[in-house]
Amino acid sequence: MFGPLFSAGLVLPFSTLPSAQAAPETHITDEAALIPDHGEALRIELLVPEGGRVAQGQPVMRLRDTPGIALVAPMAGQVARIELRPGRQLLQAVLFHDARGDRYRFDTSTAARGPDGLRALLQQSGLWRMFRSRPFGHPPKVAEVAAAIFVMGVDTRPNAAAPAVALAGREADFERGLAALAGFAAGPIFFCEPGKARYGGAVPSQITRLQAGALHPQGAAGLLIHRQFPARIAAPVWDIAAEDVADLGAVLETGYLPPTRLVAIAGDALRETRLVRCQPGADLRGLTQSLVRPGPHDILSGAFLDGRAAHWLAPRDRQVTVLSRAAQPKLRHWFGAALDQAAIAMPIIPTAALEQAMGGAAFPVAAMIRALATRDTEAFTKLGGLSLVEEDVALADYVTGARPRLADQLRAMLNQIAKEEDAA
Amino acid sequence: MKRGLWDREMVALLLLLAMLPMVFAWLWFGGLDALGRLVFTLVISGIWHLVFMLARAQPPSFAGAITAVGVAMLAPQDLSLLQLILGISFGSVFAELVFGGWGRNVLNPATVTIAFLGFGFPTAAWPDFVAPVGWAALPALAMGVVFGVMSLRLILGAMVAPGVALAFGVPVAAALPVAALVLALLVTDPVASASTRLGGWLNGGLYGALVVLFATGWQGAATAQIAVSAALWASLAAPLLDEAALALWTERRRRRHG
Repeated sequence: MFGPLFSAGLVLPFSTLPSAQAAPETHITDEAALIPDHGEALRIELLVPEGGRVAQGQPVMRLRDTPGIALVAPMAGQVARIELRPGRQLLQAVLFHDARGDRYRFDTSTAARGPDGLRALLQQSGLWRMFRSRPFGHPPKVAEVAAAIFVMGVDTRPNAAAPAVALAGREADFERGLAALAGFAAGPIFFCEPGKARYGGAVPSQITRLQAGALHPQGAAGLLIHRQFPARIAAPVWDIAAEDVADLGAVLETGYLPPTRLVAIAGDALRETRLVRCQPGADLRGLTQSLVRPGPHDILSGAFLDGRAAHWLAPRDRQVTVLSRAAQPKLRHWFGAALDQAAIAMPIIPTAALEQAMGGAAFPVAAMIRALATRDTEAFTKLGGLSLVEEDVALADYVTGARPRLADQLRAMLNQIAKEEDAA
Repeated sequence: MKRGLWDREMVALLLLLAMLPMVFAWLWFGGLDALGRLVFTLVISGIWHLVFMLARAQPPSFAGAITAVGVAMLAPQDLSLLQLILGISFGSVFAELVFGGWGRNVLNPATVTIAFLGFGFPTAAWPDFVAPVGWAALPALAMGVVFGVMSLRLILGAMVAPGVALAFGVPVAAALPVAALVLALLVTDPVASASTRLGGWLNGGLYGALVVLFATGWQGAATAQIAVSAALWASLAAPLLDEAALALWTERRRRRHG
């Protein structure tokens, strides 16, 4: 009865994003890069040589194993350098901006011819990689059919930009994108929105609307998927940001890929927090340079809960966090240091804080943490762990200061399950 | 990276903080005798934590102090020092430290120590508590719940059976102050009690029911003995109750999501 009241989540410090989230300015950085997602091995084939000029949205490379899937230029300019690892694995492809550059137009005539045409368009335009498929949290495979799609119009992470701001003025594109997705999954399409500020426009009738609570992690995709439509290996569930759906709508209408995405810049090393529209893969130094206070700091792509130190904005991220670096710790006594190094990790004690951090009654949290710590894949699967990715446990990581991090344990577990699944 | 504060030692410190009302009340009425006993148990418990730190690189924990408080307050009186050392060593080492320290143990080390001493040396008298010490359990439980380190469900569950018994006029009132004390000191340990929501209710309910059962059916037992025995049984059953709650949860989800 009182469940929603008490199991909401946690109020976090550092939520400093001003309420004036209107009219974010556009900031295209001089450099941007195409990079793989964290831990992802992308074997690629180049379509544009080093030094070649590209239009915004033009395919720069495609995946070697599935040539239909392309990575597109985030802005018009010149391909400055391409760094590959052995096996033609992409490390990064850096581009220089050219303000007078052109925009690339996609052929959208095929998209009208049913789901296969739409699939081809998504894969050519790079929007395919904006989907994330659970279990495992990778972009979907080339012929994968989603059992359900969650369109995330809510983001409860601290300092996140409200997706409603990204959609403001783009309602028509968004609704067109939603309508296109409606027939795309084998099952239902869910549109998740904040319970307090519901989307005002008309959502196609085939779409199920879900209201999420205001406190993190109530708006985490993993929690919503776990509650509504748990992901299974035979029935993958995708999630995508609402802004990307609006991008899809725009491509369908005009053939041009929108050049920017809404990104929130926050953190305790900044003079002010800010919302900007920048290109995907933007240079984070260039983006934050004018805002940072002097002094040592770290730039993370992502929220401070789940972000990673990065040079470029990661493919799916819509948040940049700049944290001041703690002063160098004082020299410690050798005995204490040796003890720390040799010590076995401290276990996590189940508390109310931990339960709230995992969304209250959603999971038997202690059992889930035990399954992670003991690498018990069977119990993990039974408890619904396949719906989760790293960012869903990031809050629990933060709250408990767990070592090793729960996110890393979760990733190891998912990789293990994926490997067993591939072998079978 | 920034991190929150709910690591193991913070939980242990908050538990210790929650126990302070009881400890102060007990010291106030027990005087120097009680203080000496507390210092002694603290030292022995601390020594074992040090030994395991040096031998096994297990970080010492404030949980050792929680154990010491529980043992000092609830263990039978007039034991010789050797017997007390033996009991604490057995409890701390075999109920906690060999498992890898607090958080990886199955039973509460203080419960094990007290049960070991109580049943191993049956001639020693169980302690008696003046009423204010029993009352001090209430703020302790309240603090534990507010900090989120004790389960409210478990505490409410533990009130069910005694409440029903009192309503029907069963003579259990004499055992209740000590039962509340044991509830705060031993049963609500977040590690050794059930961790699921339903499991918490069941765990508390079982403890309350056992207290009522022992209070009415166990002739000649001291109130502390009744409460500690109930705590031991409830703690032993906790993993089973958790498992049952988990089975129910997965079954419910299976029916809902296929």
